[in-house]
Amino acid sequence: MRMIAAFSKLEPVKFVSHLDMQRLFQRAFRRAELPLAYSKGFNPHPLLSFATAISVGFTSGGEYFDVMLTEPVSPEEFTERVNAVLPEGVRITSAVDAGEFKASLTTLMQSAEYEARLSFAEPVEKAAFGEAISSLLGGEIIVDKKTKGGIKPVDIRPMLISMELAEFSETSAKLAIKGALTAEGGLPLELLFGALEAKLGTSFSRLVHRERIEMDWSDLKK
Amino acid sequence: MNTQAASSAQTRLERINALINKVEKPTRYMGGELNMRVKEGDGLFRFALCFPDTYEIGMSHLGSRIIYNVLNNRADTYCERCYAPWVDMEALLRESGEKLFSIETKRALDEFDVIGFSLLYEMCYTNILTMLELSGIPLRSSERGEDDPLIVAGGPCVCNPEPIADIIDVFFFGDGEEVVNDFMDVYAEARKNGANKHETLVSLSRIPGIYVPAFYRPEYENGQFARLVKTEPAAPDTIERRIVRDLDKAEFTGDLVVPYMSIVHDRIALELFRGCTRGCRFCQAGFIYRPIRERRMKTLIDYCDGQLKSTGHDEVSLFSLSSGDYTEIHEMVPAVLDRYTKDRISVSFPSLRIDSFLKDDLEKMQGVRKTGLTFAPEAGTQRMRDVINKGVCEEDLLRTVKDAFEAGWQGVKLYFMIGLPGETDEDILGIAELARKVSREFYSMPKDKRGKGLRCTVSASTFVPKPFTPFQWEPQITVDEVLRRQALLRQALKGIRGVEFNCHFSETSRLEACYARGDRRLAEVMIGAYKRGARFDSWDEHFKKEAWDEAYAEQGLSVDMFANRVISLDEPLAWAHMDALVTQGYLKKEHERAFEGIVTPDCREKCNGCFGKKCTTHCEMHKAREEAK
Repeated sequence: MRMIAAFSKLEPVKFVSHLDMQRLFQRAFRRAELPLAYSKGFNPHPLLSFATAISVGFTSGGEYFDVMLTEPVSPEEFTERVNAVLPEGVRITSAVDAGEFKASLTTLMQSAEYEARLSFAEPVEKAAFGEAISSLLGGEIIVDKKTKGGIKPVDIRPMLISMELAEFSETSAKLAIKGALTAEGGLPLELLFGALEAKLGTSFSRLVHRERIEMDWSDLKK
Repeated sequence: MNTQAASSAQTRLERINALINKVEKPTRYMGGELNMRVKEGDGLFRFALCFPDTYEIGMSHLGSRIIYNVLNNRADTYCERCYAPWVDMEALLRESGEKLFSIETKRALDEFDVIGFSLLYEMCYTNILTMLELSGIPLRSSERGEDDPLIVAGGPCVCNPEPIADIIDVFFFGDGEEVVNDFMDVYAEARKNGANKHETLVSLSRIPGIYVPAFYRPEYENGQFARLVKTEPAAPDTIERRIVRDLDKAEFTGDLVVPYMSIVHDRIALELFRGCTRGCRFCQAGFIYRPIRERRMKTLIDYCDGQLKSTGHDEVSLFSLSSGDYTEIHEMVPAVLDRYTKDRISVSFPSLRIDSFLKDDLEKMQGVRKTGLTFAPEAGTQRMRDVINKGVCEEDLLRTVKDAFEAGWQGVKLYFMIGLPGETDEDILGIAELARKVSREFYSMPKDKRGKGLRCTVSASTFVPKPFTPFQWEPQITVDEVLRRQALLRQALKGIRGVEFNCHFSETSRLEACYARGDRRLAEVMIGAYKRGARFDSWDEHFKKEAWDEAYAEQGLSVDMFANRVISLDEPLAWAHMDALVTQGYLKKEHERAFEGIVTPDCREKCNGCFGKKCTTHCEMHKAREEAK
């Protein structure tokens, strides 16, 4: 059976890379003694895949994976058994039996919402900050993006759906950002922050939390 | 704790976390791994178990896993871990002025009572200096006061502790499982009684297996080490290596800490036995872990069950110095494979010797993943293998690789050494000849019976003479000679189908030779090299030859005078005060036999008397044989 699960990734595991998260879950499934299905071939591995990766250092309230099991397990039991053995900072928040639903999770992704807490290296005025935001939203955002063919200037503005100021003080700000996130790629947040730093003329450290990934579940519900 | 202290402690933690956020691999420092030990309380002794290399290497070390468990099983002690910070973290610590911190609580290292280093490899010594300096602790023991942590060290390099004797306060010689408990008991007592550092060290020096170098002063004559003079009457004349008598009952690793990142040996490691009965003459481990002591199969399977459950690992390594010599090996292999294969757990047996390898076991092992096969003939000709007492012949090797090829393996690693005492060009060419025969063995099989293509890797390391081996008096060959012999071998291996050649750069082996057999003067050399930027010397990309050359020159010493020197049999050895149980007399006898090309039998067959008089009191195998008589 195919189990689809949503999970959170918080402190301290926000530092764990995507590849290491795969191993973390595989080991947790083994500790939970779940009936894992394996791939065929020379080096069999559990059939576990994630909707997408998240940058090292970002926390998240809603990531997704699916895993194949050889025997039916109820979503409630799955959640309970895995949560009992997961390390601090990772929790399954919900699980569902995918039934006949075959589409890969990656193809269901639409967009993602983030909360970013910025701490400025030097004090910033609210007006100046507001202006920087409007200026980014008002035109193209050309950034240097690393591609296979080298570094290329790319406009990331089309991938930025919205960006709103939620809180502000001279030394810090909180932004609510919504960006594209699909199988083709997503809003490169670090490059967006780079562009914002350039507009502001000061750098800032940031704590980024992905609140949710919007998924198109309509076919699953049918 | 008052509010102000609490808040400043918290901001420190935040500052440390901010640094962790900035490095390339944060999981090296973040902690919080599954099964990490957590303890709270004010009265605990704080022990920082340090490994002078990166997290991924240190976390793979079985001895540290054991000591972590043993110390944390004590109610009075909290043992935390710390690894050498990678260069990015070192730079951040220096820039921010923060002190090096433990993984568990992020406490600064200088706030610990005891800092313990595992000494596995001489080329990690400079990392000890990095770790001390980043903790704000003076490098030399003579510069440290009553308030500094006690700096202790254990591990195989303690065989010759002299090159770092000026850095370390207390050495543990031999198996650590019991001596760390004795150490903590005496340390706790001394603290309770309000003893000062000197009094504490005197009490500690009375524990068997403990060496306090400050109580001995070296003397030199004509530029050479002459003798060690005892300066504290209460200290022992010689330090006898500690051994755990009953390994089966000894404490083991407990529930393994499960790292987030991929580490070098990312698996459950079960030690079948300690010690080796073979007596290969170049091999320090073969002498300094004697006598042989086994764990029972049932004990091992119980550990294995428990650890699989508590970690979720899918790989188990059943290791020892020569796993094929394990008494129950042919019951063990099928039992383990039957038990775990269905759960897709792969089982490996590193250090299986060619001559003890059975075809049936091989066929069973391919049930799971085919991990590579590794063989260590060590030398290319029978003459040379007799000199080094490697009781393996060509027929054994070829038969075994044939069995392996038939069972579907196509990757084979062959390990050799160059620069062994008495080696000739003929012996070097013999390595290529052996590789050619292995290649022929593979390609002479029908295509449908074998894998697609052979991957045979020939590795040649450079011989390093080590204390407590029959070759401890022998020199290492010079750099030019190493390079010439490597070139000769590379040329000879050219064109052999499916064979690849690997050899390690020789400069680090030279320094390793110095630190293996050196004396106390080398501590200043090491500090000098460190000040000139030497770090992670075992990593080729970090090795700074000039730093070392200048540091040797500054002390009026040279690499050659340590690495390339023939020590005559009647000369004083810098490690003569260390009693490794294997006697110097026995080693001399073995030295003589080597050059006569006489092999010495495995001590399972016959007692060769390596412990001298202590055979009757310290060797279970000897006792069992006597009782059987």
